[in-house]
Order: sequence, then structure tokens, then C-alpha cells
Amino acid sequence: MADAMTAAIFNLNHPANTVHWHFFFMSVSNVVVIVLMVVVFAGAILLPFPHRGGHGDST
Amino acid sequence: MSTPARSWTARARERAVGALPPDKLLPDRQPSYMSSWIYIFGVLSLTSLIVVIGSGSILSLKGPGWWHFTGIGHFFNSIHLWSVELFFFFMVIHLWGKYWMAAWRGGRAKVWMTGAVTFVVAIPCALTGYVSQQNFDAQWISTQAKDAFNAVGIGSFFNLTNFGQMYSYHVLLLPMAVVGLVVAHILLVRKHGIVPPFALADRLGNEPVERDVAAEPILPPTPTEHGSVHTPDSGNGVASEPDRVPAEGTS
Repeated sequence: MADAMTAAIFNLNHPANTVHWHFFFMSVSNVVVIVLMVVVFAGAILLPFPHRGGHGDST
Repeated sequence: MSTPARSWTARARERAVGALPPDKLLPDRQPSYMSSWIYIFGVLSLTSLIVVIGSGSILSLKGPGWWHFTGIGHFFNSIHLWSVELFFFFMVIHLWGKYWMAAWRGGRAKVWMTGAVTFVVAIPCALTGYVSQQNFDAQWISTQAKDAFNAVGIGSFFNLTNFGQMYSYHVLLLPMAVVGLVVAHILLVRKHGIVPPFALADRLGNEPVERDVAAEPILPPTPTEHGSVHTPDSGNGVASEPDRVPAEGTS
């Protein structure tokens, strides 16, 4: 068990950290995942898609 | 000599080929508006699901003693967990993208519905996995979820503390439902084509989306004298522009 704990990248041997603001109550890990999803979604909309070159496609 | 009565296999084949001719089922060209990162999250979800099914099959072959107490078992346990996390991650972004582009337009209601139901069915599929881990985490989740199921009145049908029931739901019934829905979803996407953006629909006037632009027969590219590729106009005023690019497996 101790080996498993020391092998973990993050120390998970404690109660979950939470974000609590008025009615909002959520674990930090869930907040991180949701923020990541929003960032990736925005990136997918805004970042240019690489076009294939050399085939004459004008896209 | 009279013509023999047509068999049900012939009728089924003709109906299947009529609904999904080979060039629609396995296209090699796609509309140019597919060249956006937002279109890759469907195939990323599908890829994650394949890893989920593969790693889950190995875990079910080897059993909990293997996935809890051996290094390679831990590895496949982690692969299974993180592929599920990615499956939901990509599926939610896919859902957001399709919601904001109103992907049910142009007769694509069934595409939208099968995707939405897949998302809903995938949630208990993951939950039954968490309660099938065979550890304290699973015990905690199952007793908490048991209270939730009882509170909404379905505890007599789904007993979260019944490991045998939860395990069979997790490795057979719910995965079958998810995979079946995903297959239906993909076939419907192939049939109707990916939804065109609003700007293109506006440009085509009043009939745009219902014309199902992306579902028009996909014709092979023809080299021009300049060596570039030209796609024949499909007659709807859209393909006259360079609007087809090679399929990259995105959806």
C-alpha cells in the first residue's frame, strides 16, 4: 500500500479538495476536467485546421 | 417458367444497399466544411470506445486478482479507466459541437437521438464499472448509489449492492446497448452525411439543409489539366466550389 502511495504522481491520501462558492460545490478534479473541456472546445472552434497540401485541393 | 418468389434475404439486401450504397457507407471524399477540429471529436469518441472495449475484454478475461495485484493488471486497469474518461471527455465536446450547430437539421433527427441516447446509456455503463472494481472504492460508490436509486424508486430493479447483477450489466448488457447505438449512429451519419454549417445553409436559400448536401452521391475526383483535383458538380450549387476533401476518418 505504501509503495502504491509513493508511486502515485499526486498524493491522493487525503479527502477530496472542493471548490465551494455560494451554491456551487464541486471537487477540484471535476472542475479541472470541465475547464479542460471548455478550453478544448474553444480551441476546436478557433484553431485553424491544417490543410493537406500538394493534392490541388483548394481547402 | 415463372420467376421464383423473392426471398427475404434479397429484399433485405436491396433495402440495405438502397439506404446505404457502398460509396456512401465508405466514402473517400467529404465536404470541405469538415476541415475543422470540431469534427474530430466523434471519431475520437469512437476510438476511445474501441480502447474501452479492448481493455475491458482483457480485464474480464483475467479477473480482479490480476487487475488489483499485478503490475500489468494495474496497467490495463488504468488503460480501461482513462479510456473511459477520454470517451466521456470527447463525447461531451462532440455533444456541445453538434448542439451549437443544430446537427438535427436536414432530416438528421435520428442521428441526434441515437447520439443523445448513447450518452445517457453510457452513464450507467460507467457507474456499473465503478461498482464492479472489487475494492473499497466500489463499496463506497455502490452504497451511495444504492440510496440514490432507492430515492428515485428504481432500487427494486437495480440493486447496486448486488455485485453479480452490476457486473453482468457492466460487461454484457450495457456495453451491447452502447455499441449497438454507436453502430446505428455511425450508419445514420453515413446515410445523411455530416450537417453543413449555418453559413452554407443560408447561402443555399430556403431549401439548403433539407437537400442534405453532404449526403449527395460522392463522386470520384477527376484530375484536371493542371493536375489538381476537381469534383463534379452534384447539381445543388454547392459542389461547384471546391467542397470535397479526402476523408480522414473524422465524423
